[in-house]
Amino acid sequence: MFDIGLTHYLVVSIVVFCLGVAVMATKRNAIGILLGAELVLNAAALNFVAFGRYRVPGLDGQLAAVFVIVLAAAETALALAIFLNFYANHATIDVDQGASLKG
Amino acid sequence: MILLEALMFYVFAATMIGSSLAILLSRDIVRSAVWLLGTLGAAAGLYFLLAANFLAAVQLIVYAGGVLVLIVFGVMLTGRQAGAMPLARGSEIAIAAVVALILCAGLLVVALRGPWIELPGPAPAPVAAEMRTIGSELLTSYLVPFEVASVLLLAVMIGAAYLARPEKR
Amino acid sequence: MATALQACLLLGVFIPLASFVFLAFFGSKLGGAARRHEHAHHENSHGHAEHGHPAAAAPGEPLAGWVATAAIAASLILALIATFIWAGGDGESRRAWSEQAAHGAALWTNLGSVPIHFGVNLDSLTVITFLMVTICSTCIHVFSVGYMAGDPRFARFFCFLSLFCFSMLGLVIARSLLFLFIFWELVGVCSYFLIGFWFEKKSASNAAIKAFVVNRVGDFGFVIGLGLCLVYLGTLSLDSAPAVFEAGARAAGWSSTELSAAAAAVPAEQAAHAARLFTTLLWGVPLATWLGIGLFCGAIGKSAQFPLQVWLPDAMEGPTPVSALIHAATMVAAGVYLVARVFLLLTPGAQMFIAVVGCITLTMAALIAIVQTDIKRVLAYSTLSQLGYMVFGLGVGAWVGALYHLLTHAFFKALLFLGSGQVIAGCHHEQDLRKMGGLASKMPNTAIAFLIAVLAISGAGLPWLNVGLGGYFSKDEILAVAFYRHFNADKPAAEHAAGERAAGDVAALGSGVPVLLAANESAHAAQSHGDDPQAGHAAARPAPHAAPPVSRVPAALFWLPIVIAYVTPFYMGRCFILAFLGRPRDEHIHAHARETPIMYRPLLVLAGLTVVSSIPVFLFRPFVAHAAPGHAPLVPAISGDDHALHAAHQWLPAIVGFAWVVGLGSAWLLYRNGLALAERIRRAPVVHLLHHVLWNKFYFDHVYGFVLVGGTKVVAVICRLFDNWVIDGVINNAAYVFERLARFSGVVLDNRGVDGAVNGLGGGLWSLGGLLRRFQTGLARNYILLAALGVCALVVAVLSGGQASWALALFVAAAAALLTPWEQVRRGLMGER
Repeated sequence: MFDIGLTHYLVVSIVVFCLGVAVMATKRNAIGILLGAELVLNAAALNFVAFGRYRVPGLDGQLAAVFVIVLAAAETALALAIFLNFYANHATIDVDQGASLKG
Repeated sequence: MILLEALMFYVFAATMIGSSLAILLSRDIVRSAVWLLGTLGAAAGLYFLLAANFLAAVQLIVYAGGVLVLIVFGVMLTGRQAGAMPLARGSEIAIAAVVALILCAGLLVVALRGPWIELPGPAPAPVAAEMRTIGSELLTSYLVPFEVASVLLLAVMIGAAYLARPEKR
Repeated sequence: MATALQACLLLGVFIPLASFVFLAFFGSKLGGAARRHEHAHHENSHGHAEHGHPAAAAPGEPLAGWVATAAIAASLILALIATFIWAGGDGESRRAWSEQAAHGAALWTNLGSVPIHFGVNLDSLTVITFLMVTICSTCIHVFSVGYMAGDPRFARFFCFLSLFCFSMLGLVIARSLLFLFIFWELVGVCSYFLIGFWFEKKSASNAAIKAFVVNRVGDFGFVIGLGLCLVYLGTLSLDSAPAVFEAGARAAGWSSTELSAAAAAVPAEQAAHAARLFTTLLWGVPLATWLGIGLFCGAIGKSAQFPLQVWLPDAMEGPTPVSALIHAATMVAAGVYLVARVFLLLTPGAQMFIAVVGCITLTMAALIAIVQTDIKRVLAYSTLSQLGYMVFGLGVGAWVGALYHLLTHAFFKALLFLGSGQVIAGCHHEQDLRKMGGLASKMPNTAIAFLIAVLAISGAGLPWLNVGLGGYFSKDEILAVAFYRHFNADKPAAEHAAGERAAGDVAALGSGVPVLLAANESAHAAQSHGDDPQAGHAAARPAPHAAPPVSRVPAALFWLPIVIAYVTPFYMGRCFILAFLGRPRDEHIHAHARETPIMYRPLLVLAGLTVVSSIPVFLFRPFVAHAAPGHAPLVPAISGDDHALHAAHQWLPAIVGFAWVVGLGSAWLLYRNGLALAERIRRAPVVHLLHHVLWNKFYFDHVYGFVLVGGTKVVAVICRLFDNWVIDGVINNAAYVFERLARFSGVVLDNRGVDGAVNGLGGGLWSLGGLLRRFQTGLARNYILLAALGVCALVVAVLSGGQASWALALFVAAAAALLTPWEQVRRGLMGER
């Protein structure tokens, strides 16, 4: 109970991951979906660091997390640019309005 | 000492999960964005506990300082009716909940039963990851991902500027 | 010296690449200001550009052209330097240089355990082919500056030309089959760009696609050959692969000849592995033969041999300089070059296959060429026919003859194409021979150059006097070997053996080739004579380097090339006479015809080179002869220097020596007064039928169109029927049943007043429909859910362990659910339409 190990972190990471998936699946606001993606990415990064701490000695886990953070930042910037563009065209960021490519 | 560490862990973990849950449940996007701050901060705390000091700092600076501000800006630029955004249909939410629960259960089973390699002896002492070490690692063993990431950032910068520019007609 | 040579060749390869990169980025910014509206205008009416009105200067004109020309000219100078260095070395130092180059090759990568080196394959063939390619390309570049004047994409054209030169030169120097393949594909894609250069023309873009697709068919075989090499020989290097192959053949008991030094050095394990090539049969044919045939398939595609010859005539849609570059100097030559390079990886079976394919091609193409009326298509078919000769030559073992023919052919065929380009440009893009005539007075320089090329391709020369042009020597050497393999092969050749092997002894081919070896070659000649496979005396004489038995070739493989040697001068004479002699048949065209200095000067240069390359003792043939595989364990490689050929000498000149007189003479008789006489003959009953067959190119395009395109269509129709009847039928019927069921339940049960049940059923169906519809909502969040479901399926698969099939079934069901057109199902369920 008080001996914190890999499993504890894994559980936290999994729960946050699933919450992120749920956020992505329920929000209609595009920025809400982006928040879900951030949750998922954070969960993944936490996983990396936890494994790096407890199972794979060295800096591999931390560096993987660094790259995850970098990619997440890039992804946010790009996604927000897309949303602004979307907003300029549709005057809303309700993703349900973006289904015009639906077959 | 162990007790303190465990206590910290539970506090951060609870904050992280709780904030995430709040993001999920809150209907106002501005509140969601603020709750994200809790998640990111708690994650940074967990990194501290995992002896990844540098990473924790990066997490705070890049995420809490950069990404979050960016998101809030996004909300402000687009969010005239953000608060009034209708939720997804009830049935959809139900399905999402079921799927997320199944996924969570499945992943938990995998994680708890998974045959992770057991290192002999007690958990290894945390690597004191100085910024110097990380820096030299980034420029030696991880040079290629580093360069690729920089090129990617450049591409993202150009792409974002291109996408968000005002329409010229 | 080796370093200098390598530096020359490598620089020569990469300078055109630099030019390509430069032109790709800055090409259209060179020269005068680009006039946008002119550009748009040209895009719309391409014909305007074709007529070459000098008024509108395209972006980059003419500076971009001169940049590319300067690049290839620099390569030419480097090639000349390399040639001088190489010519200055004797046999021993040349071998030393080659080995130095081989050792200096940089390791590029390891494919599994097979190292791939990047370096220059330094031998006489590389040097002389490099020289040939750069000379032809330079002339073509200069010509193009004139020919492409006024084209809106002027700069892009030279950009592609530079890339093409880079690819081709890289192909020539490649020392690994893998690099050869890479450059091979680069050449292919360049030809795609260049043939489809005027892509506004539907026919041009179609021709480009056709060339590309047909070449892919051939490359498929090439890749199979490469794979066999990689797996069984364990090497892709052009110099170690034959050694391993030879060692394998020996280990499998295929050859009893003395192993060469390189082959003897092959580890026994590797040799045993390679031996499986010979012992493993696929459809009754050993894999070794399949390897040869596979590699040759690449050549079939690139060199447009039967049955993949269909792309080449269509490729005439490209600009004429491109036709010259692709058909003369470079791309089609690549196929022959490849076969020459892998000659030692051939088995007798593969070689016979090559000979048959070459023979079919040369015959068929020459016959079709007789009836063509488009000047470029005549040349295209003559190219096919000449390539057929080269491939046939390699197939019967005339390695030296085939490659010498490759070199001479490159010059005179480039000359012919550029000449036709000058004619076409001078006649306002009229390509129809029937509308030309009498152009000699208007284009004297072009006419003279063209005449020289026609004489060269006809093999004009004076038998027994050893004076002749181009094809006279090279083609005759191929025919002499065929003659020898037909008549003398199975005779015991012991009488030729000992005495005639003396050093410095001079061979004389009956119809030509007097002193084939320059003086400084004699030392090598002695050595090469010692190596040369001679005749079937391997069993009789346990000599070192005893040659493989030379099998007899069938009569058709000898007589068809002989007959076509008469047809070649006929159709080339027809082409020349119709274009340049006689009375003008279209006064308007004749009145406006003119020639341009920038275009005819390269022609004169090429005409000079045609004459120079026809001197068998100077430069070209000695270089080829020096590169000949001295020690061919499995297949015969017979050079014109071999004394075994003496027997062939007495009769061959009598048979074909005056073919050019007969052919050109009959063309003169038939066409000197225009087309009237030929037209009368065409109307004759049997000839009419023949003409019809030839005019339709033996119906190859029809058959391919019917079988391949039609076959694809049939499959598509079957698929559509299946979709319409079976799948839609199942769905519609299911929908119908459900609908009836729902109505039945609604009507019957409702009438009985069981509202709950009705509403439950209806509601259930409704929400089912709603649920299913949601799979195709176009909403990102739903797709995320589906992805999560997929992960769930994977988790189940992991957890269920042994019962993974259940998880798999779940996953398949989920995938099927995604792929089903739920919208249709929903409509069926809702009873809509």
